[in-house]
Amino acid sequence: MQFSRNWLKDFLDLNISTEDLCFQLTMAGVEVDGYDSFNSKITGKDSIIKLDITPNRGDCFSVYGVARELAVINNLKLRRPAFKSIESSFKEDLRIKVCKEAPIYVGRSIKNINLKTKTLPLVAERLALSDQKLIDPVVDITNYILLELGQPLHAFDRDKLEGNINVRKAKKGESLILLDDQEINLSPDCLVISDEKESIALAGIMGGKNTCVTANTKSIFLESAFFKPSVIRGRARRFGFQTDASIRFERGVDYEIQELAVEKASEILCETVGGEFGIIQESKLTKEVPKAKKISLDLDRTNKILGTNITSLKAKKYLKGLGMNPKGSSGKLDLTSPSWRYDIEIEADLIEELARLEGYDSLPTVSLEPKLKIKSESKEKIISASLVSQGFSEVINYSFISEDDEMVFGESKKLVEVENPISQNMRYMRSSLFPGLINTFIHNLNNGLESQKLFEIGSIFSHKKSKKPSERTRVSGLIYGDVSSNHWLDKPRKVNFYDAKGIIEKILSSFDVTINFDPKSSDFLHPGISSTIYNGSKEIGLLGALSPNILGKLGLKEDVFLFSLDIEALKIKSLQKFTKFSKFPSIQRDLAFVIDKDITSHELNVLIKDKGGKDLNNLHLFDVYEGKGVDDDRKSIAISLTWQSSKGTLLDSDIDKVVEKIVNSVKKELDGDLRN
Amino acid sequence: MDLKSLKQKISTLKSESSALINSSNDKGSLEKTYKSYLGKSGEVNLLLKSLGSLPQEKRKEAGMLLNQLKSDIDNSYKDKTSELSKAENELRLGNQKIDISLPSASKADGSLHPVTQTINEISDFFESIGFGIESGPETETDYYNFEALNVPEDHPAKDMHDTFYLKESGLLRTHTSPVQIRTMENKNPPHRIICPGKVFRKDSDLTHTPMFHQIEGLVVEEGASFAQLKGLLNDFLEDFFGREVELRFRPSYFPFTEPSAEVDIKWNKSWLEVLGCGMVHPNVLEMVGVDAKKYSGFAFGLGVERMAMLKYDIPDLRLFFENDYRFLKQF
Repeated sequence: MQFSRNWLKDFLDLNISTEDLCFQLTMAGVEVDGYDSFNSKITGKDSIIKLDITPNRGDCFSVYGVARELAVINNLKLRRPAFKSIESSFKEDLRIKVCKEAPIYVGRSIKNINLKTKTLPLVAERLALSDQKLIDPVVDITNYILLELGQPLHAFDRDKLEGNINVRKAKKGESLILLDDQEINLSPDCLVISDEKESIALAGIMGGKNTCVTANTKSIFLESAFFKPSVIRGRARRFGFQTDASIRFERGVDYEIQELAVEKASEILCETVGGEFGIIQESKLTKEVPKAKKISLDLDRTNKILGTNITSLKAKKYLKGLGMNPKGSSGKLDLTSPSWRYDIEIEADLIEELARLEGYDSLPTVSLEPKLKIKSESKEKIISASLVSQGFSEVINYSFISEDDEMVFGESKKLVEVENPISQNMRYMRSSLFPGLINTFIHNLNNGLESQKLFEIGSIFSHKKSKKPSERTRVSGLIYGDVSSNHWLDKPRKVNFYDAKGIIEKILSSFDVTINFDPKSSDFLHPGISSTIYNGSKEIGLLGALSPNILGKLGLKEDVFLFSLDIEALKIKSLQKFTKFSKFPSIQRDLAFVIDKDITSHELNVLIKDKGGKDLNNLHLFDVYEGKGVDDDRKSIAISLTWQSSKGTLLDSDIDKVVEKIVNSVKKELDGDLRN
Repeated sequence: MDLKSLKQKISTLKSESSALINSSNDKGSLEKTYKSYLGKSGEVNLLLKSLGSLPQEKRKEAGMLLNQLKSDIDNSYKDKTSELSKAENELRLGNQKIDISLPSASKADGSLHPVTQTINEISDFFESIGFGIESGPETETDYYNFEALNVPEDHPAKDMHDTFYLKESGLLRTHTSPVQIRTMENKNPPHRIICPGKVFRKDSDLTHTPMFHQIEGLVVEEGASFAQLKGLLNDFLEDFFGREVELRFRPSYFPFTEPSAEVDIKWNKSWLEVLGCGMVHPNVLEMVGVDAKKYSGFAFGLGVERMAMLKYDIPDLRLFFENDYRFLKQF
């Protein structure tokens, strides 16, 4: 809301600079966005003050409300809005029926008005300074009262009303054409004003087209009603708009100013458009009108919570200023909530009032005593530390993703879809971290980064069986280009599958897992250069080269390696305790076997371990050779074996026997020959 | 030969050998000189052999003198040898010089995203005074995101959050406050927790991205006070920026706190909003079954990107999600 500072003078004599005034309001919880200076031909030097009012302070949505706040802050007297009552010259023949959602309805008919007249200059200026368009004198005056008092008014064309007024819930299937020409379909939880024929206004939100004031209007019926916030809230938003009236009614309008608003409007209407005024007719459902809430305040508790020492005398002074009629003494005060404050319901609300009038900044400050707490380890931290030490940079991508990206990498058949996405490219929640990584990778490749190691840790989303989305935390990574950064000592080498595998093994070394790799693949990976990662027999991740089909689509020539681990499936390794090591000498033998290409090194290892005896405590593959000297369909694998016993020195002759056993088994089971 | 002429001979040999040894420039000539005195047919040996020609009573003295000469020559030889070795060694090592200015062979570390780094910095402060770190789902129900936080259906306060709703059910959390609710439901007070994580709001312009990171904190203890909240946030901000920070608290509104406050810091001569906070609303405590007579609580929340932008002078929020290496490698 914005308004002219000089308007405040109608209610308050406040001689401080506009800057100080804005500071006071901000520090009292009525945030000021800023102010602009203005020179008025009518009122002289002025400023336009712009407020950013929080939803709890509906009472500040008017000039009078802001003046009331400033009066409390400055301990000044507030003048009630003054008006000259316009005498009535005829009786009202319209009956008004109210309901529990609209317990107060004040109406007044004004006949034979002259709409050819102009809005009064001061009214026009104040409306303009509040950024309010001028429409016609009647509508301008209703807007003026809304800004001044916070009470929304509506003027119907009296001659277009068909019989008595009824405030009621909308009927099923009922529709209404609003002032702005849009037709809305009403539901039974909407409140409408209707005449005997049909609904004529969406209560508290906007009037209807058929009964609105036009250039030809001769008589008007002025409405000043109280609608409960609960029957207005969310209704306008449902139809996709908000109005100055709905903003005020849904936050709560003072339930004691409806008649005042009509009187004040009548005075200005009389001066502007003239006419004959009917009696002011009020319909009221007294038992449904909100009542002042009785609240008690325990000063001891207040002081404990704020860390203050506010005396009962001081508290009473503040609360009286706020219109809360504090009673009682010693530590306990009884008060009532003012008719304009909907945010005063419980003791905590009063504590806030005292705190803000005392000034948050002048409240005491103490440090929070530290407490000892044993830090818990975070799996994410362990993983990211390992990856950073291996040269990876962390990225953070949006959790939103396009349908196309999901189609390629998505692991879930049932995607989580956003109902109101910010754009079509962000319509789904990602079910994989790879699309984001690949987009980031391509962005950086286009900017000249030839070698990349990227990772991201984040949630992925899918629908399992239930409607509720399921989330998993995952780490995924991407490697591309040279394995080391083109150092003068190293021979350049492109990254390969075994680099990616090593990264996975290094990460997993901090976790309690038995790693197994199995060449089972995903559609987006190269079928021959990829693996599923298992902990024992449980699937925990995957790694491999990006499928050549996708590489082609992306216009890439070199391999991109991807990996991914399900963090929730990992358990941090328990504390490593000391194990005794052998002091006896070890014996080492190097063996090279020529075996069929189809046989994996894993199969050879398993066999050797099985035959190597209990003292075989290390097995290290140090060479793989294919080519000259080895048959085309065969390869040579060289392994270094180390034996060591914890009980005594091993004899060469014993190890010779074991080696012979290994060589025989490899021959028999894998058709492998010892290579010379 | 008589003893007198022998003594004279020894004296000559001593000075002569010493001069020769000391003037040797290499091990070859030194060796040669050495042998010419102490070799099998060296001069000292020849003299020893000639001892027999001396009278019996003189032989002992002459023997001693000759042995002394032998040991003198031997010592000068050893000294010279080690002197020459040292020089030789220095010369050899001097020739092994490398270019120490060539690039090192250390492997470069990667980097954590500045958002993660900022979360870690903030977490370290709170962990050091006894806060635990809690996390929760990013897809939430209306109950945890709004209702349990004292935001009823259709309340205007909901307009403060532009919520993304999910097609099947639920929504994307607009703040990490649901984690506070879940923690209070699952554990008994006292509580000291912070909840870092991603949050989502339907907003995208220069200063808003539809996803960003928040850290919220919660303290529920006997005697938790607004004064402590003020002290804690003051300590935190000074720790975070590593210097004294001028800050102010002003009243504001959040449905889940009462009293509520906004914290501004003085930044380049104007006030900048950095934190929202307040005493936990009694309705919120009641909803999760915390005895509000016994315990009071306070909560606070901040935007991680915003804090990082201030601290590291980052001009544009969108840089965080572009992941350009020229941005990432700076941190």
